Amino acid sequence: MDKTSIRMGARSVVAAFVLALAFALACALPSGAFALTTGSATAKPNEDGGSSVIGGLPTRLTWEATADKGDSVESVELVLPEGGSFDSSTTKITTLKGLERSKVEGEATPQGNKLTVKFSEPLVDGYLIRLEITDMHFPSEGGSVVVGGTYVSNGETKQLQDSAPIETIPNTLVQGIVNWLDHQPWVQAWNSNQFLGMFFKPQLIVTSLFSLLPGWFVCLGIVIASYPFAVVLGLVFALMKVSRFKLLRAIAIVYINVLRGTPLFLQIYIVFFGLPMMNINIDNVILGIIVMAVNSSAYLAEIFRAGIESIPAGQYEAASSLGMGHLQTMVNIILPQTVRRVIPTVTSDFITAFKDTSLLSSVGVMELMMFSKNLTSITGNMTPYVTAGIFYLIVTLPLIKVVTVIEKRIARSERGSGPRPKAKTAVAKEEVADAV
Amino acid sequence: MLSKKRMHLPNNTHDVPPALDAEEAARAAHERDKSLTKHHFEPHEHPCVRIEHLVKTFDGETQVLTDVNLTVWPGEVVCVLGPSGSGKSTMLRCINLLETPTAGHILIEDKEITGHLLQAEVNKLRQNLGMVFQSFNLFPHLTAKGNVMIGQTKVLKKSKEEAEAEALKQLEAVGLLDRADYKPAQLSGGQQQRVAIARAVAMHPDIILFDEPTSALDPELVRGVLDVMRRLAEHGGMTMIVVTHEMGFAREVADRVVFMEGGVVVEQGTPEQVFDNPQHKRTAEFLGSID
Ligand SMILES: Nc1ncnc2c1ncn2[C@@H]1O[C@H](COP(=O)(O)OP(=O)(O)O)[C@@H](O)[C@H]1O
Ligand SMILES: [Mg+2]
Repeated sequence: MDKTSIRMGARSVVAAFVLALAFALACALPSGAFALTTGSATAKPNEDGGSSVIGGLPTRLTWEATADKGDSVESVELVLPEGGSFDSSTTKITTLKGLERSKVEGEATPQGNKLTVKFSEPLVDGYLIRLEITDMHFPSEGGSVVVGGTYVSNGETKQLQDSAPIETIPNTLVQGIVNWLDHQPWVQAWNSNQFLGMFFKPQLIVTSLFSLLPGWFVCLGIVIASYPFAVVLGLVFALMKVSRFKLLRAIAIVYINVLRGTPLFLQIYIVFFGLPMMNINIDNVILGIIVMAVNSSAYLAEIFRAGIESIPAGQYEAASSLGMGHLQTMVNIILPQTVRRVIPTVTSDFITAFKDTSLLSSVGVMELMMFSKNLTSITGNMTPYVTAGIFYLIVTLPLIKVVTVIEKRIARSERGSGPRPKAKTAVAKEEVADAV
Repeated sequence: MLSKKRMHLPNNTHDVPPALDAEEAARAAHERDKSLTKHHFEPHEHPCVRIEHLVKTFDGETQVLTDVNLTVWPGEVVCVLGPSGSGKSTMLRCINLLETPTAGHILIEDKEITGHLLQAEVNKLRQNLGMVFQSFNLFPHLTAKGNVMIGQTKVLKKSKEEAEAEALKQLEAVGLLDRADYKPAQLSGGQQQRVAIARAVAMHPDIILFDEPTSALDPELVRGVLDVMRRLAEHGGMTMIVVTHEMGFAREVADRVVFMEGGVVVEQGTPEQVFDNPQHKRTAEFLGSID
């Protein structure tokens, strides 16, 4: 998906999560030479639909056609695809002769997915018919809807030219809920409170939950894709920093200190604006992953280094006295212990990295922050931001809990009273108790 | 700690004579030691450890070992006594090059280890020199069995099955077969130290160095560890150099007792000679203060 289409998807709010691009398009059709020419068929976005037309909900359809040479149109029958409905709709019929309103009148009879319009007198060449049908429904499955049908001209039933397709989006659970909420007195009361209505508007929470979802996935995708690289890079620089070679240590120190000593925001700007200036064009999301990976790697390098250095000298000595070489000691003895020790700190860093993906919105990466910003600017309501907060918390709260649990477990096992494996016999259990 | 370990003597500024020729040294050492140890000498036996004029200085100033001379014979059990700070640990750590000797010679099986050694040679040497530490130094992320296996699989390149069988055998020997799957944190100090002994023994080294193996233990746990060491001395035929404060153990198990103070070996002899009839005033004082 290219950048523009994502952005447009966001603007069309609800459409974003379904199709990322859902538009009610009206294209002029090439006019036929000898028939009632369907000029245009457009649908007005439903209420709460943002800029999209949602199936299954009341919408206004505007349909126009012009009579051609030889036509003498007595009636028109519009047909919607299966699932669409004109029932309970009202139709405003306008006929024009040239630019002037003609006095020809019509009578519309809705019946299921058909709408028959009979004219008081036949319409001949040069007449324009405009039908504005309010409170009609498109099929709730959504998709491209074509309005077709027949017309009677000179006593002969002819096929109507299909209209240009109207893009509709499915009437999902969300729309149902929003619709339902709209009519709840408590929601109206809630929203009449300025604070609640501005920050916690129920309809917008529901809409946002769904329409921000792609942004949330982008955030998760960026951090999940970048973190393995960050871990590997971090480990490499940590090992360089504890290396016995001065040059490696120096390189690691510069790398770590520069990245930790400058704001991520600045690093993002330098990379996102710098690379294109050098005619290097990389996809925004990929670039985001790279920047996040490099930035996190510096923090992880320090975490790993501290972890490595926290392993007591006795561990190296015990490994050495078994005849293990430096590399063997690192791989078999030091790193496994380091990993255990740094898991809580690394998890905290992961939380930070996840939240920091929000900075990428500043350079146009379509992540959660960007989606919520767009939605807020469309709706003029803060609720999308609040909902974005909920999305961040969905990830961070459980991780915060994980950190606490692991920290507790480590503290306990360092006191020497960690969980014991199942004792093979009751006697064995007692002995341990005695010994400890 | 990882870095800066250079396995050679910086220079021999200390006025130390070169190491003796092997045959000559063996004869001389035999002459000197035969009345000082209960060890049964084989004909033409060579010592397995020869320490000649060993000097160790920390930071170029603190001289911890001034002139240590000691020979240890194959299968001999040598207990090293001495007050805290006398350099016992330092001497032991010089033998397996955890410390780099400043000057002097250490020869293991007539091969000089002081001087330029490649890291690979150092690793090879250490396979042959087990070490048991005061603070156990078990690998906390591995089970008891894993601790005993890892040297065998990673250093000796034994198969997992072989290493496991050996580990279980050694854990059984130290009475901890039923703790094979426990992590160190789930074991008492005494049990941890017995696992550490099993870990050292499983490598089948010729020599095991013990640095105060019971000093960190609660009194009631000391006995179990000493029993394991005694069995190793009596049935294992293992050469053991044991730094200890356990006089009872030294008297019972040692072939020779060495008393160190101030970075030199002050006195050595059979347990009876040293304990019952110390030749030096300092030895007598030290033994008196211990009892
Ligand atoms: N790495 C070191 N750096 C500086 N001094 C040390 C170091 N290791 C030991 N020493 C000093 O050497 C002396 C002897 O230590 P050690 O060999 O541990 O004695 P012992 O084992 O007999 O108690 C002590 O004074 C100690 O402070
Ligand atoms: Mg000591």
